[in-house]
Amino acid sequence: MEAQDLEDILFGIPSSQDSLESCWNDDSDDDMLDVWDPFGTQSTHAPHSPSVEITWVISHIEKIFENIGAGLSEEDGELSIMLKTRSKKTRREPGISIEPRPSEPSGLRAIKFPGGTVQESWRFTVLVRILELIHSGLTDNTTISKRDLYYRDPDLFVKQSVVDRYVDDLACTFGVSRSLLNVTAAAKGLVAGNFVIYRTDGSSVKGLSEKDGLLVPTLHDTDIVDISSVRWVLVIEKEATFRSLLSSHQWGTLSLECLMLTAKGYPDLASRTFLRRIADGSPWTPMFALVDFDPDGIAIMSTYKHGSFRLAHENVTTCGTPSLSLPQLRWLGVQGHQLQQSLLMERSTNDGTVGGDQGVLRLTARDRTKACRMLEWEICAAGGPEPEWRRGLQTMLMLNVKAEMQILEELPGGLPKWLARELAAKQGGEADAEGLSTTSGQHRLR
Amino acid sequence: MSKQYLTLHTIDNAHPSDVFALAAKKTQLLSASGSSFIRVYDTTQPDFPLRQTIDGAHPLGIHHLVTAKEAEKAASAGFEGKVRIWRAGEDGEWEAVGDITDSNKPGSIWAIALSADGAYLASSSINGKINVWSLSEASMPQIRSYETKGSFGLCVDLSADGRFTASGHENGSIYIFNNDSGRLSHSVAGLVQPIRAVAFSPASKLVAAAGDARIIALYDVLSGEQIANFTGHGGWVLSLDWSDTGEYLLSGSHDSKAKIWRIETRSCVATHSHGDRPLWTARWLPKSTRSEMFALGGGNQAISFYREAAG
Repeated sequence: MEAQDLEDILFGIPSSQDSLESCWNDDSDDDMLDVWDPFGTQSTHAPHSPSVEITWVISHIEKIFENIGAGLSEEDGELSIMLKTRSKKTRREPGISIEPRPSEPSGLRAIKFPGGTVQESWRFTVLVRILELIHSGLTDNTTISKRDLYYRDPDLFVKQSVVDRYVDDLACTFGVSRSLLNVTAAAKGLVAGNFVIYRTDGSSVKGLSEKDGLLVPTLHDTDIVDISSVRWVLVIEKEATFRSLLSSHQWGTLSLECLMLTAKGYPDLASRTFLRRIADGSPWTPMFALVDFDPDGIAIMSTYKHGSFRLAHENVTTCGTPSLSLPQLRWLGVQGHQLQQSLLMERSTNDGTVGGDQGVLRLTARDRTKACRMLEWEICAAGGPEPEWRRGLQTMLMLNVKAEMQILEELPGGLPKWLARELAAKQGGEADAEGLSTTSGQHRLR
Repeated sequence: MSKQYLTLHTIDNAHPSDVFALAAKKTQLLSASGSSFIRVYDTTQPDFPLRQTIDGAHPLGIHHLVTAKEAEKAASAGFEGKVRIWRAGEDGEWEAVGDITDSNKPGSIWAIALSADGAYLASSSINGKINVWSLSEASMPQIRSYETKGSFGLCVDLSADGRFTASGHENGSIYIFNNDSGRLSHSVAGLVQPIRAVAFSPASKLVAAAGDARIIALYDVLSGEQIANFTGHGGWVLSLDWSDTGEYLLSGSHDSKAKIWRIETRSCVATHSHGDRPLWTARWLPKSTRSEMFALGGGNQAISFYREAAG
């Protein structure tokens, strides 16, 4: 890491803290709202309110940075980070998160800068970098895999196991599970479709090779991605719908011309990075989102498209990493008017669901509060860039209903037929764009 | 026997979002939508010119807008949770009077209704509570509060004379309250599915209710008995409005269809389509010397005016 970077981190803190302070103040009412809901998609079963623990972790990291800042401003100040090593402890089960508690003195080790050895200085730098990445992941509400972390700075980290070890050490030091740091073991997204990744070592990864889809692969700078056959990209909120499409008998035909990805809820960094690389290499390939018709569905789509909504207006992330937004992402469904066309008029029975339609449900109080909150987002505001999202949120509130994408599977012809029809309708006016994509060939992606 | 209604005029792009509510005055039509402003159209001119735009009424959009039949008063409810009272001056310009603030949490009020004289406002809420507020006092206090079984009150109406409040709920319940005694008059056998519109007849003798069951039911206010059922809508019924004389009922549906029902024969006399998006609101215009007129607003962002064919 360059000294410049370190300074950026250290001196960048006061401003970033301002924004965090305000986010902290919001929190009293955000607890129930879970506006960013990083846990809705993870296996953490925190017994306590997760957002409280998140803010605790964030403030803890900031305290460390403050101490470093204070150390820098002193004449002979020493920079150090206290780290608890896990050697004497049994590994904590991920998913069991306990109340944050002050670290015990035993097993604590100070990592100093400049340390006694080159090794220690490097260790300090690695820790600061990891803390910075975790901090931005937490404030951005993005989940990062250990693999992602490594690839953010492979020159510094040298090897994956370094990242693995320090992430777990930090979790141990804070006394929280790793998932509370928004760090996962591996990519959680799945991808399928007619693409091929050529690696420099001569190996290749084929999107059609696994009939259940592949874990979202990490793309290296030197990889070549061939998506010349891909005519559209579909991002799906739910794994179940992704799998149901893969197992449909139409998939054989569909798969030849598409790329399909699910991050199983709110997208992780790996999935967003992958999609961004696809978009960079083939900006004319249309990208569509298929999400539930509920506030979370729109929030998930927003995370794919604009990243964290709090930073949407900046279109960059805090730590200067390249933007992962997907401005070309369009809302395929489920939209309010699709409910009307497909279901509401056709059936009426009297079980617990609205109008007897499976998958059409009433909003909860949390849904309503969240939808109202989202109407305040800049991107959903009147005159903002996403009038259809605003309309969708207002329609939910007016009718007090939401709908899961599973309702599409119950239509005659199921999801594949619906997909074909909606795609044809959306692409109808884009003959030119399609013409371009057929001439595209192989793309060497950045 | 069917009736003919002709499209008189359509205001395309009346709002840059779904038109959620229309409310009529003698010479004006007020409209509200998912955008933050209220628009006022002059209904005395053949091209229904825009007379006033009230900017910034509710920043997150407006879900309900009502007017008092015989007073220059209006009330609006926004997604941010506020209820705002408006008054028209002699020049017909609208201005804000104030907000209903007394002892209600922001966001707890959903549907609203005004009595004909504008002295009372009734409100439904997400937790099922039905409240009545006195607008003639400066502080606009809450004067009645009715408990229900806690199901979301999707719609509410006040009888023209202010004596009764009716509410429709998500669980299919319909309640009629007596505002004089402050008690529940009738818990009406509902339609099981969510009730999205209730409306008292002009003489306050009948109340109409409808919703996801796609059936419009008529009840006797005094006895609470159901006296008629109108079937024919293919989608959820979202709005109901009685004509001035009480002869006709206008209904609007999620499937973008409006229907006009003749009460005497209990039959549908006309059906009109308003684009292919939900028809959120359908309102009669107060009868002038001309023939009967009504206006439709919905997801196509337009407002259309219809007139009874002469003959």
